[in-house]
This record gives sequence, structure tokens and C-alpha cells, in this order.
Amino acid sequence: MTQEAAKQHSTRDWPTLLGDNARTGGQGQRPLHRPDKAAWQFRSGDAIRSAPVLQEGVLYVASVSGALYAIDVSTGLSQWKFQAAAQVHSTPSLSGNTILLGCDDGKVYAVDRHSGKKLWDAASQAEVWSSPVIRNGIVYFGSADGRVYAVDLQSGRPRWSRDLGGRIYSTAYVAERSLYVGCGDGKVYCLESASGKVVWDTPTGNGIDSSPAVTNEIVLIGSEDFFVYALNASTGEVRWKYETGLGIASSPAVSGDFAAIGSKDGFLYAFDLRTGQLRWKTAVGEVVTAPPVIGDGVVCIQAGGTFALDIGTGKVVWRASLGGAIQSVPVLAADSIYLASLSGEIHALR
Amino acid sequence: MIMDRRTFMKAGCLGSASLLIQGLDPMMRADSAPPAVPAIELHGLPNYKPSPLGMPGLFPGRVIEVRDQAAITNNRVSQPVVRGLLRQAMKQLTGESSPRDAWAKFIQPNDIVGIKINPSGAPACCSSPELVREIIGAIRDLGVPARNILVYDRYSYEIDLGSYQALLPTEIQIVGIQDAFAGSGDGYEPTVYCDANFFGEWETRSYMASIVAHQVTKIINVPTMKDHSASGVTGALKNLAYGTFNNVARTHRAPYSFTNPAIGSLCTVEPLRSKSVLHIMDGMRQVWHGGPLTQVQEFIEQPGILLVATDPVAMDTIELAAIEKKRREKGAPSVWEHDPGSITPDTNVFFHDANKNLFFRQPGHVEAAGKLGLGVADLKQIDHRVV
Repeated sequence: MTQEAAKQHSTRDWPTLLGDNARTGGQGQRPLHRPDKAAWQFRSGDAIRSAPVLQEGVLYVASVSGALYAIDVSTGLSQWKFQAAAQVHSTPSLSGNTILLGCDDGKVYAVDRHSGKKLWDAASQAEVWSSPVIRNGIVYFGSADGRVYAVDLQSGRPRWSRDLGGRIYSTAYVAERSLYVGCGDGKVYCLESASGKVVWDTPTGNGIDSSPAVTNEIVLIGSEDFFVYALNASTGEVRWKYETGLGIASSPAVSGDFAAIGSKDGFLYAFDLRTGQLRWKTAVGEVVTAPPVIGDGVVCIQAGGTFALDIGTGKVVWRASLGGAIQSVPVLAADSIYLASLSGEIHALR
Repeated sequence: MIMDRRTFMKAGCLGSASLLIQGLDPMMRADSAPPAVPAIELHGLPNYKPSPLGMPGLFPGRVIEVRDQAAITNNRVSQPVVRGLLRQAMKQLTGESSPRDAWAKFIQPNDIVGIKINPSGAPACCSSPELVREIIGAIRDLGVPARNILVYDRYSYEIDLGSYQALLPTEIQIVGIQDAFAGSGDGYEPTVYCDANFFGEWETRSYMASIVAHQVTKIINVPTMKDHSASGVTGALKNLAYGTFNNVARTHRAPYSFTNPAIGSLCTVEPLRSKSVLHIMDGMRQVWHGGPLTQVQEFIEQPGILLVATDPVAMDTIELAAIEKKRREKGAPSVWEHDPGSITPDTNVFFHDANKNLFFRQPGHVEAAGKLGLGVADLKQIDHRVV
């Protein structure tokens, strides 16, 4: 690949949940315009409960029935299909030529992204709904068995695992030395990424379904206790918290000092990341459980339809009423938006 | 298995969408004559021996009501307060001096226990995870391994909305029998069904969930306390019936509803009847209009109540009286109201106007279930103990 082509791909790829491992949700570097036509629609034939990811013109999406599809975004046709052994609710992650996804059989599958062939699998004792996170050749994932696992990216061999005591549906954020994750026992954990040793834990008032974002030494996460928490990444100390109207299963997206997260009370909330001051909140649906993503001057959220809100004011800029994909995350590529619906369709909007 | 209409229609669960795709016909006149009640054919599991613990269970006609305003504050349920309420109610129901002995009347260590939650209407009003945790804790205290406890409902998607997966203990199983938006008829037992043609639908059967037919040995039913646009209220009976069988939305087509007699009929089918040994109604929240799916907080009270009974009919009779009382206090029409002028085809109007409804509600389903032997429907005969 030429340098120019690589650069082009870097602005078009979307290799993990919320765009990249920093959960930036595709910040402002991703140009986004109001879509005005549907380019194609792919029907999986089964429900889709996770989000697509994108690399080098191929969209990877898993259906609940356990089928992982590689869809050519230029045609909307599937290049191959990999069938996992059980249902899949996990958003795939991409690293090089490997695509990883969790499965309800307790395994994380590594699949060759060109051929669709299984490379290896790594087992836990319960379903894996979180999205695997890759850093420095290690794959990290949480399981409903209450443990966080670290396995080797090349082989799937275990490095370490740590029992946290509650179901883990939160997708971890992995920094150079630390891993941050929410847990069903209501705590936010910081682990040493090399060993899994617990560095700190901070309790919230109920279980955690939300996935953390970490930026500027702040861990941002929602809890089912209705609060958004900003924690000191080094100590776990609560820097600020903000109360919404109901529990939070959504995950935050951040860009600079701007942060946004949805709540089950139907609002999308925008904060000043440093102070916790509310910038705006906008009603977007009856219930919001999907994470928002940040585009060029807008925040996108799926809550029944797909909404794009002005990042400065929270006012609705445009809305696409395709599918009922309220738990999924739109993929914002350079000239396209890809949406997965709960009823199993993938829409490409231009 | 034949693909059923419900699966084929991909019935949703979010208010307006679901009602539209389930065949709501805005042209159907509310004042037209209702269709006749069809014959209902029931097929239970062959040769199943009924249990004395089955509905109406060990304490017919007895309903224990415990309440504490501190059980819920600003929509947050207090785990310790709920724990105390549940223990108190179980002792009162059984006459035992310890909660453990009370639970032991229903559950044995070798049981596989299904906890039938009601996530429909999550997150605004659903079975509280805090209550479900306490039930799980009580069952585990009896020696039931966590892996033998299943928290289940029909729609996995609704379970997700309630975040039960993240909020309940590890090792227990959380089962959505089917997906709300797509999927096959897998998960249902083809030989156990109800056959009835309500409105000329092409698929006339509703099948029992396989986990109820074969997997669990006891069911703890955890309904919520709600008005229901088609059945009048949704309580213990409806949570069991419509959460166990598929293809049941076909029993109501606006403005008519055959939830009476369908709800009671379905509850008599074995082994559902025998396995359902205890009902714990979550009245932390109480929906007095817009049920079962409303998210409008204006119609949701927070009384902090638990009802406990083995008799679902007696329990739902108490619930029905409570919902009626609340609607009266709020100036809303009775759930028995059958004024054609109150019917609207617009779900948005229904969700925001307590004077409007989508169907002629059928609260008579509770009394009808009593006549089928499932419990006591006469308020004067119900031993309603308010603690």
C-alpha cells in the first residue's frame, strides 16, 4: 500500500468499537455530511446486536446467530462468512489481519480477515459480550464469568486472568500500563495491563454495563446508578459525577474537552470533560443505550433512528430513520455512514 | 417447526412500532360488533403428573402485601429495604419463623429454578434487578447451585434494555427465549401448544417455551404492577402466559382483545401450571396508564410495594383493585370502560392521554382464570394481609 493510500485508509477505517481503542468515536478528523441516499442494504437474515467495524473497504459485522460477515462496502456483497459456535453480541475488533470477536460459548475467536478462517480461540467460562481490545500484541476481554482475560494475539495463549467478582459486559480501555473496565459488581477497576493486578477500584451505586473512555488522566464511565463518573485515572478518585434520570448502559465518546453519553432516560448528555459542567442535553428517544460517536461538528447517536446533533448546541442537525438499531453504533467513514439494525440489515448511506 | 406468525411478523417491543406491525387496523371501527370468542384447544405435555404446588398452590386466596416508602427513592430501588420486605412477606405467607424455612416450602436443593421476570417496559418499569438479586440469594441459600438458576423472559432484547446481564450475579443463566426483531421458532416445544383462531390469522398456534416444558422444575414468577392496554392489567397471570408462549400478540387486534380468556387458558397448560409455585409482584413502581410499555414517568407511581402469593388470581385481583383506585384518583376512566369514543388508533395519543386506549381492555381475564381453578377472584374471599 502506498503512503497516500495508507493515509486515506487511516481516515476511513473504524477498526474497533467507537472507532479506535481510544474511544474517540471518530473525532473531528472524520468528515461527515448529511446522507442523502442509501447506497445499498445487506440483509443478514438474523438480528444484529453489535456494531460493525471497518477496515480497508471491508465492513465486518456479526449477527446474533453467530455469523460474522465481511462485506465489500463498494458493492454491499459478502465476501465470506464465518460461523461461530453460538450467539454473538460482541462488537468485533481488528488488528492487522486478525479480526476478534467474543461469543456466547465463552470463547473469543480470532479469524483471518482475508479468508474468514479461524486462527485460534481463547476460552472463558461464560458468554463474552464485551469487545476484545488489542494493545502491544495482547488481546484483553471481559467475560460474564466475572474475569478479565489477557491472551496472546498471535496464538490465543493465556497471559493472565483476574476475577473481579461481577459479570463483565463493559469493554475495557487499555492504556500502556493500565486497563480500565466497569463491572457488574458496581466497581470501576484499574488493573496492571501486564499482570492483571488490581491497582485501584472505585465503587458506584449499582452494576456497570458501560465501557470507559480514558483521556487526559480521566476515566469517564456511566453506571446503572444513574450517574456519569469522571475518575482520576491514577487513583480512582472521583473528580466529578453527574446524575441523569435513569441508569446508563451507553458509553462515552470524547473529543478534546468534550464528552457525550446517553442515558436510559432518553437524553444524550454533553459535558465539559474537565469540570463535569453540563453543556447541553437533548431528548433523542424513549431509551438510549447506544454509545454516541463524534463526527465533524456533530454527535451521532442511535435511538430508534440515527440522530446527528450539533456538537455546540445539541440541536438536531439531521435524522435518518432507518432501522431500529438503538443498541448499535454508526460507523462514520469518509464519505459514508454504515448502520446496523436490530432486525439484521446493514445500511450504507452516502 | 412451523414458523409462527409472531416470528414472521418480527413483532417489536417498542410501543408504536410493535402495535403497527402487529396488524393494528386504524380503519377498524371501534363501535363495530366484536368477533365471537373462538374455541381454544390446549395441548399440555403428555402424561405430566400435576403437582400440589401448582397454581393456586399451597395458599389459595392468600396475598401478602408489604410496603415501605424507603424501598424506592427517585426511581432507585433500595437493595437492603427490598431484602427486608421480601423476608417479611415470605414469613407472613408461609407462617414460618425464618425466611429460609419459608422458601424451603417451595424450592428444594435439586430444583432447577426459573425466575420469570417481566422486562417489558424496561427501563421505566420492569422487574427490579434488586428484587431479582434477593430472590436469587434466597434460592442459593437453600443449596441450589447458581448454575441451576435461570432468569428468563421471552425477549432477549428486552432483557438487554433492563441490563439484567450486567446486574445479576455470575454463574446464573440469563435466557431470552427469542429475539424480538428476528429469529426462528427455536426455543419452543412443538407438542405443547394452544390452538385458536382469533382474527383469521394463518398461524393459529402458540407454543410453550422449551425451558418451561423441559428444563426448569420450579418457576418463581416476578410480575410487575401495571395497567395493560389490552388485558386491563398485566400481573402474575399475564406474565406467565404471554411470557411462556409465543405468537400471543395475535390475541388482540385493535380495538378487540381476546386476552380474556387466552391468559387464563394458557396458564392451565401443564407443566406451566404445576411448576409455577410462587409469585412475587414487584410493585416498587406502579403503571396506571400506558402499560405495558410506557416510558412516560407521569403515569408511573413509586409506592414501594411487594405482593407475595401462591395464588396468581388472588394476587392479580388485588393488583386490579389497586390500578383501578389509582386511575380513579387520577381522573382516568376505569379499565372496565368500553366506550368506543375512548379508542384511538394512534399509539402516541394513547401513550400521552390517560383517557384514550388502543383496545377495549379485558380485566375480566382475572376472574375467568379463577373460574378455571387457578385461584380466588372474589375480593371478599381473598385473605389480603397488609403488613
